[in-house]
Amino acid sequence: MKYSFYPGCSMEATAQANLKSIEAVASALDIQLEEIPDWNCCGATVVSGVVGDFIQQVMTGRNLAIAEPKGQDVVVGCSSCYLSLAVTNKRFKEDEHFRALANQALAEGGLKYDGTLRVRQFLEVVINDVGFDKVARRVKRPLKGLKVAGYVGCQTVRAIPYEFDDPEYPVLMDRLMEALGATATEFPMKARCCGSSQTIPATDIVIDCARKIFDSAAAGGAQVIVTPCPMCQLNLDAYQQRVNQLHGTSFNMPVLFFTQLMAIAFDLAPDAQALKYNIVSPYEALATYGASK
Amino acid sequence: MEKKIAVYICTGCGIGDALDVDALSNVALKEYKADICKTDAFLCGKDGVAVIKNDIENEGVNTVVVAGCSSRVNADVFNFGPNVIVERANLREQVIWCHPADDEDTQMLAEDYIRMALVKQKNMNLPEPYQVENLSKTIMVVGGGFTGLTAALESAKAGYRTVLVEKEDKLGGYVGKMYKQVPLKPPFTDLEENCIPGLVKAVEEAGVKVYTSATIAKTAGGPGMFDVTINQNGGTVEERVGAIVLATGARPYDASKLAHLGFGQYENVITQSAFEEMVAAGNMEAGKVAFIQCAGSRDQEHLPYCSAACCVESIKQALYVKEKNPEANVYVYYKDIRSNGQYEHFYKKAQQAGVIFIKGDVTAITESDGQLAIEADDKTMGTTSEADEFDLVVLANGMVPTAAFGEMIEEEAEEEAAAAADEPKVVGPTIIKSNMLNLEYRQGPELPELKYGFPDSHYICFPYETRRTGIYAAGVVRAPMDMLSAMEDAAGAALKAVQCVEATAKGEAVHPRSGDMSFPEFNMNRCTQCKRCTEECPFGAINEDEKANPLPNPTRCRRCGTCMGACPERIISFKNYSVPMIGNMVKAIEVPEELDEKPRILVFACENDAMPALDMAGINRLQYNPWVRIIPVRCLGSLNLVWINDAMAKGFDGVLLMGCKHGDDYQCHFMKGSELAEIRLSKISETLNRLGLESERVRATTVNIMDYDKIPAMLDEFAEELEELGPNPMKDFQ
Amino acid sequence: MEQNNKPVKYDLTFAREIYSLENGSYIKQCMQCGMCAISCATREIMDYSPRQLFNLIKLGKKDEVLQANTMWHCTSCCTCKARCPRGVPLVDVMHDLKKYAIENGYADYPQAAFYKAFWSEVAGRGKVFEGGVTGRYYLIRGLDEVKKAMDMKDVGINMLKHGRLPLLPPKKVKGMGNLKKIIRKAQELQRKEAR
Ligand code: SF4
Ligand code: SF4
Ligand code: SF4
Repeated sequence: MKYSFYPGCSMEATAQANLKSIEAVASALDIQLEEIPDWNCCGATVVSGVVGDFIQQVMTGRNLAIAEPKGQDVVVGCSSCYLSLAVTNKRFKEDEHFRALANQALAEGGLKYDGTLRVRQFLEVVINDVGFDKVARRVKRPLKGLKVAGYVGCQTVRAIPYEFDDPEYPVLMDRLMEALGATATEFPMKARCCGSSQTIPATDIVIDCARKIFDSAAAGGAQVIVTPCPMCQLNLDAYQQRVNQLHGTSFNMPVLFFTQLMAIAFDLAPDAQALKYNIVSPYEALATYGASK
Repeated sequence: MEKKIAVYICTGCGIGDALDVDALSNVALKEYKADICKTDAFLCGKDGVAVIKNDIENEGVNTVVVAGCSSRVNADVFNFGPNVIVERANLREQVIWCHPADDEDTQMLAEDYIRMALVKQKNMNLPEPYQVENLSKTIMVVGGGFTGLTAALESAKAGYRTVLVEKEDKLGGYVGKMYKQVPLKPPFTDLEENCIPGLVKAVEEAGVKVYTSATIAKTAGGPGMFDVTINQNGGTVEERVGAIVLATGARPYDASKLAHLGFGQYENVITQSAFEEMVAAGNMEAGKVAFIQCAGSRDQEHLPYCSAACCVESIKQALYVKEKNPEANVYVYYKDIRSNGQYEHFYKKAQQAGVIFIKGDVTAITESDGQLAIEADDKTMGTTSEADEFDLVVLANGMVPTAAFGEMIEEEAEEEAAAAADEPKVVGPTIIKSNMLNLEYRQGPELPELKYGFPDSHYICFPYETRRTGIYAAGVVRAPMDMLSAMEDAAGAALKAVQCVEATAKGEAVHPRSGDMSFPEFNMNRCTQCKRCTEECPFGAINEDEKANPLPNPTRCRRCGTCMGACPERIISFKNYSVPMIGNMVKAIEVPEELDEKPRILVFACENDAMPALDMAGINRLQYNPWVRIIPVRCLGSLNLVWINDAMAKGFDGVLLMGCKHGDDYQCHFMKGSELAEIRLSKISETLNRLGLESERVRATTVNIMDYDKIPAMLDEFAEELEELGPNPMKDFQ
Repeated sequence: MEQNNKPVKYDLTFAREIYSLENGSYIKQCMQCGMCAISCATREIMDYSPRQLFNLIKLGKKDEVLQANTMWHCTSCCTCKARCPRGVPLVDVMHDLKKYAIENGYADYPQAAFYKAFWSEVAGRGKVFEGGVTGRYYLIRGLDEVKKAMDMKDVGINMLKHGRLPLLPPKKVKGMGNLKKIIRKAQELQRKEAR
């Protein structure tokens, strides 16, 4: 299974754990990821707000244009990048007028995109192309008894609603956790917003959202939270202590990329598990499952 | 017909394990002298049915009692043709599924049901279908507007001779005068060309006989044999038709009553239909237009109901303005936009075209220099608002059914008898003399109204059915509606009419007792001309001669039995349903003596809702009181008070009537059956008390089909209350 | 909202301008059902819910709309967009409103500064670098904001300690020259389209 791979900016900074665990899990499952050469920023949810959708989508389109000759599905590891790429791709496919204009701009860089690719998320590829059975067979150290709150977040399921799971109450990541041997807990806030990029300009929003999410995860009895989204991971991990300070709570809930937990269950090397990047220490909660420094 | 009776007891579905089947056979053979009694482990299976068929063919059996599942299931399996009487004893849903197995009381219950079934079939005969001489299958449509034309076309396309009567000199009605029409096809976003010319042509090509400038002077007879006198150009024509579709439409609400919205005061405040004419004539020049919704509708001072079409029509008219000038400013003031169903797309289209929708009540309309200004409470902003420089204000002035115009028929002066006895009186339905059908019906010349002048009956369960069999209302005369619904209505009513003529030709009843071939027979020499049956028949089936003798019209009859319950002389009966039949079933039930401490409660349950609910209680294995014995009735309206006498005399400790909800949101399939039963009950409470029998022993309750889970508590509570009263003192007089 | 008794007058000039933005015409089809408002993660701290904002646009309340924090508090969680029964792509509409507000000098919100900083990073480097965005953000916002940031410094230090805040930016996009050309052309086309 070969794919083009779009890592996105955060993988080189705040979400290195995401990149490392994705790469390791992919190779353990025979998924070949070929990084799109010289990719550029997708603009996240921000750039449109300054220069408009058109320019952001042209910029994002550059990545798809570079990938198109290979014809492989484009796999994205970040929810926010996925939102940009998937929506842009849809527009290229469905809106002829847009496609013509955008290609005029891309031509300045000697590029052209015909809208022939599929843009997908790594989570979805694991679920649909690999499948729960194959994942379960690859597990070396089942996560028996581990209670996991699957925090899917927003854009994973709502960038293109119903594309791969229920946008209101997604369940597929929970099934994946069960394939690893873990128990997925009841978690009503699993698709609620974490505050996203308000981290910098309006931290209060993030603290407030995070608090509600922790409450919900704790009420379901979760020991750890997993997520596919770098922004969610960062907000819930880095601001957990802050939530505790401001709200007098005492949450101590490690927040992992789902791929980190897969790396543990697959018994991959510590570098693949990439736990050292986690701010809320996951070692105690995962000690018995072979989490390693 | 000499009856040869065979009883088949099914021991499948757990019946054989829960009951002593030999004892049941003994009841059939020894007590009731059935000719044959067999048991089978799987009676509804191929072999089981073959056993019965064999006995019918080779043993001459013509009366079959199947003791097993409810009559609501396997009806087709146990149907042995028109010459074999089949009766079912419900040992499954109403015995073993809701009472403990291997139990003395359960066994007694099962035996009683066998007795009741045997008595019932002894008291019934095969119905002989009523045949109309000179039966007509012609469908007559009254009203040549959009709905009427569509109904006529549907009926003609279905292969029936169709007659269309229109009072104007031209077909087309209200829609015919429109500039364009709301969309009737996907994607439901675009204005469509007026469909009336095409429809008229299609109707003519389909061979529909059209009478224009025509009115109906008289409609006599009934389904299959309506004799209609049509006035046309000073002459008259007679048509015999089988069923009628009433599609006379509605009229716009009288705008002169809308002075508060500036109508009559300012020239540029006009009605929806005036705007339509203006656009059709090409005189619409306005660049800024406001539409005011619910002008008169949803207003207790005017029309309390929603007129249902005006929102969609205003959206259409707003698009006229935008079609002419995309830059025009168009505002729609509304309470709620009720663009039902597919018309949501049309609404969205108007928004996309730039029509501004404002949710708010208009508080004032003023004029200066020929331009109008509107003040309103903007509900979504929570503020008062104003807008001015309108060239035109269009009032969406709602609709009134054509059936609502005319004098209301007052109840006749009370008959002395009823007045003197101070009895509660059944209030008949309101009939408005709208001069549309001029029916020769004892209860009045037009269709009874349901509400606000609309001649509907039960709008959810029986669409298009009016309270006159064979006459179906469609379109805006039936209920306020938009064009798409009217189109559906037209087809629905036409098909109902077709069903009606076909059923009538076979001598069968129409919905809800479709297929029933029995009809009421009157033993006239004992009739006292009390008029109860002619007044209480919910469908006006019974006319009267000058001496007040009832003149039944079997094809109008729905077989509810209300007349049978009403008749104090008990002279009305059906071949397979009668006062003695039920009375004898009551008497067949074994009532233990007081010392045995086994009380008995009799339940009369309506077949339409209460019986299925009781079956569902069984299906859900809800256990209930074992003292209960249930007798199904066609409708509580058929309850004859003598049955209560019979039950009390027999020693029953209580009687419970289970019928449908009545009142404004009634669910009775025959309009007022359960209400009538309660009125009748109230008449005997005094008599009961006088006999030393507490009137609380007899009571009525309403059961909805979904109330099955409440049934055990209902019965237990009644049993407890009866226990407090103690046993029926009549027990010992047996 | 409008609590004084003076009636407001509908003025469609502003509405027409907003409706002509890239995704602006979708606003017209809002039916004021309120689904977006109850779905929104940050509704409680918004001046107006999306529904109200769209209504204000209809009323022609330019200042109220452009000064509102609504679009800036939108986190792009897409809940409203996924749920809107009228298919209004609210997240995209919010982008347009942000852009319009910045262009018309209504950019007082910290988010606006953050957005601009982010864009500068992307435009200059082709990729974003958190350190760079934050630096530019503080340059735009001024020193007050740095003080606030110091309150958060434990968060930052924690991130540093766990290797989450590299101090050196990633390499620029190699084809930066081409990317810039593409962007310039796109801007030119965008201006032409708007006309
Ligand atoms: S259809 Fe619309 S305008 Fe007409 S009464 Fe109903 S809500 Fe009012
Ligand atoms: S059975 Fe019902 S419908 Fe028929 S005549 Fe009697 S009351 Fe009327
Ligand atoms: S959910 Fe959509 S239609 Fe409803 S108020 Fe919000 S934007 Fe308008």
